[in-house]
This record gives sequence, C-alpha cells and structure tokens, in this order.
Amino acid sequence: MLKIWGRANSSNVQKALWAAEEVGVRYDRIDLGGPFGGLDKPDYVARNPNKRIPTIDDDGYILWESNAIVRYFGHKYGNDQLWPRDPKVRGLAEQWMDWQQTTLFSDFVVLIVQLLRTPPDKRDQTAIENARQKAEASWAMFDQHLKANAFAAGKAFTLGDVPLGVFAWRRYELPIQRANLPNVDAWYKRLQARPGYKKIVMTPLS
Amino acid sequence: MLELLGRLSSINVRKVLWTCLELGFEPSLTEWGSGSRSLQAPEFLALNPNGLVPVVKDGGFVLWESNAICRYLAHKHRRFDLLPEGPAERAIVEQWMDWQLTEINNAWRYAFMGLVRHSPKHRDASAIADSVTQWNHQMAILDRTLGRTGAFVTGEAFTLADIVVGLSTHRWYATPITRPQLTAVAAYYARLRERPAFARYSDQA
Ligand SMILES: N[C@@H](CCC(=O)N[C@@H](CS)C(=O)NCC(=O)O)C(=O)O
Ligand SMILES: N[C@@H](CCC(=O)N[C@@H](CS)C(=O)NCC(=O)O)C(=O)O
Repeated sequence: MLKIWGRANSSNVQKALWAAEEVGVRYDRIDLGGPFGGLDKPDYVARNPNKRIPTIDDDGYILWESNAIVRYFGHKYGNDQLWPRDPKVRGLAEQWMDWQQTTLFSDFVVLIVQLLRTPPDKRDQTAIENARQKAEASWAMFDQHLKANAFAAGKAFTLGDVPLGVFAWRRYELPIQRANLPNVDAWYKRLQARPGYKKIVMTPLS
Repeated sequence: MLELLGRLSSINVRKVLWTCLELGFEPSLTEWGSGSRSLQAPEFLALNPNGLVPVVKDGGFVLWESNAICRYLAHKHRRFDLLPEGPAERAIVEQWMDWQLTEINNAWRYAFMGLVRHSPKHRDASAIADSVTQWNHQMAILDRTLGRTGAFVTGEAFTLADIVVGLSTHRWYATPITRPQLTAVAAYYARLRERPAFARYSDQA
C-alpha cells in the first residue's frame, strides 16, 4: 500500500494526505519529523536526501516535495476535474500552487513558529506583525482572483486549491487579526464542505 | 506569438527564454522590472498582481510563476522529452523543479543579494556566511544525485528540471563564494554549456 511519511500536523504533509483523500487512494501514514525525529536516519535520507517531510513510497516509487506529490496523485489517481488535462486550466492551478510555496509560505512559517511553538514571553512581536501584514496582503491578492473565480483554477475545485487550502485553515485558526476578505471567506466555506478537508486539515494546530 | 514580460538579468525570466528555445521558438520579450518599467505600474499589476517577472501572454491567456510557465509551455507543445507523459516520470522532474524553487532559491538569496547585487539590506557577514553554507549543502545534494542519475538531474535525458537547476548551477559558479569541489556538478555544468540555449542565456546577469 502507498506509504506517506510525516507527522500529521505538518502543513506540507497535510497537502499530500488531503490530496490522497480527494483522489481516493488508500495509504498508511508513518509519523516522522518534529517530536518523532527520524529525518537523519540513513534509510530515510536514502529516500529523501533533502531530509524533510513529506515523502511517499508508492509501490517502490519514491517521491518528495509536497506539491509534486499532490500533482502526482492527481495525474495518477485523479480525474480530469481534480487534475485538469487542459494546459491552461492546469497552468493556473500550478501557478497558485507555486505561489503558495514562493510567496505565502515564508510569512506563514514565521506565524506558525512564533504563535504555536514559541512561549509568549519569547515571541518577536515585530516579526509577527510584519509576517501578518504580508500574509494578509497575499490573501487580499487571492481575494481579487476569487472575485471572478470560485476556485484557484476557475469554476471548479482542483488540486490547485490544496496548498492554499491548508494555509487558509491556519489563517482562520491562528490568533491573528484578519482583513475583511469576503471572497476568501466564501472559498474557505466551500473547502470546508469537502470531507477530505475536514478529516485532514481541520484539526487542532500545534 | 508568445509574449514574455521581464528582463534578461532575471534568472526566472531566463528559465522561460531557455524553455522556449528548447521548444524551437523565440518569444517576444518586453522589458519590465528593475532598470526598466516598474512592476508596480497598474497595467503590469493587472497581468500579475504579485508584481514579479516573468509573466507570459499566450493570446488572451496570462500566466506567471516561472516553473508553472515552463511546464505549461512543455505541456502545450506536447514535449514529453522535457516533461514526461507518465505520472511517475513526470513527478520526478517536477520534484526537482520544486526543490529548486523552495530550497535552492531560499538558500542563495541572501548571499547573492549581498555579494552580487550589493543590496544594502543584505550586508550582514554572518547571514551571508549562513546562506553560503546552506547553498553549498544544497549543491552537495545535487552532486550526490547526479552521481546516481548520470548525465542529468533525473537520468540520462535532459528535461525541464535541468533548465531550472542548470541556471541555479550557473549562478553558484558565478557568485564570488568559496565552493567545495563537487565533481559530478562540475561535469554536469560542462555538459550544460554544450547546449546553445544555455550558452546564450546563462551569462546575462
Ligand atoms: N519544500 C518542501 C518543504 C518541506 C518541509 O519544510 N517540511 C517540514 C514540515 S512542514 C519539515 O520537514 N520539517 C522538519 C520536521 O518536521 O522535523 C515541501 O514542500 O515538501
Ligand atoms: N516565484 C516567482 C519569483 C519571481 C521573481 O522573484 N522575480 C524577480 C526577478 S528574478 C522580480 O520580479 N524582481 C523584481 C524586479 O525585477 O523588479 C517565479 O518563480 O516566477
């Protein structure tokens, strides 16, 4: 059976788990990283020289990088709606996936590390506020896109919504001040109606 | 004709230019970005609200994010040699493209901005040293991988992964830092230099 390595509270692991739920492939998850350690173990490094989670083993086929895994699941196990064959629709899905990695992620790392994993008296309030403002500016940009689109790649949900959806949960659950972004609110509501999102992503942050 | 917005000195713009040459055509390049028209101009932000280059216009279709653009173009032109059709083979190419985007790009940024672009915000010597250490660590991962895969990042054949990783390799050699001896990377770099598109687009910074 498909194996997915990574602790269940990791944003990047949740992308892989949620995508697996969406395409309906069964998997075994193996705890790794954070308190579980194991990233430096030789057998893990042999699978993933980058020493991060997630990594998958699909019947001997090894893959890492969360977004590449999400797309692989879509391509291998998904249908044309979840992972569109049309180059333009897929291009948009991929654009927003890459944007999560290159733009949104660096600010969320700061918010997650500071607000969830740093004791209150040790927190760097300036760094938190800077990251919050930049993250909210990014969400405002996505809000404009959602004015004319129900989802990242257009009318329908695709796996292109997965990376952003994982961080949307963090946006609403972290104790931060949020801008009023009605289109992001409505998109987030649509995601919450998906069983895979509920099961994998809508879980306590830690 | 494909319109490309950006500037030659941008590594992310050069990914797209190189991809186009491998596909056998030249896009029309309009200069945007530092040293040229501002990316905060309303007509630019209307195309890419993220305010960065590259952006492509393919008829009425607009796309940004360099790696997504390269994959879109290979997909559209059905160049399965550059981006394989089978899910497993394709995902390995994408894995290394994502690795370039998330790992190498973050590792080099501080050192490159400080040492090459002389940015006033990137002058802290210990932050430069950290950035170099991480960069060299990432390049060592590439070295071990090439030792296993052979000629190129994912195997004996050249793919899109080699465009994005190849440009990063060029940047590693072109930045004044202390580099470890990485023999597989050196051989890879020499192999890339034989490609006309690489010779043309690597040295524009
Ligand atoms: N670019 C990689 C980044 C992976 C990553 O940073 N994973 C984090 C968890 S979200 C990790 O491995 N952290 C070390 C740990 O959990 O111990 C991806 O998207 O898969
Ligand atoms: N994640 C984006 C990053 C794009 C990016 O950072 N572009 C830089 C040039 S390499 C930029 O637009 N800089 C501002 C400027 O040129 O004025 C991508 O891969 O396309």
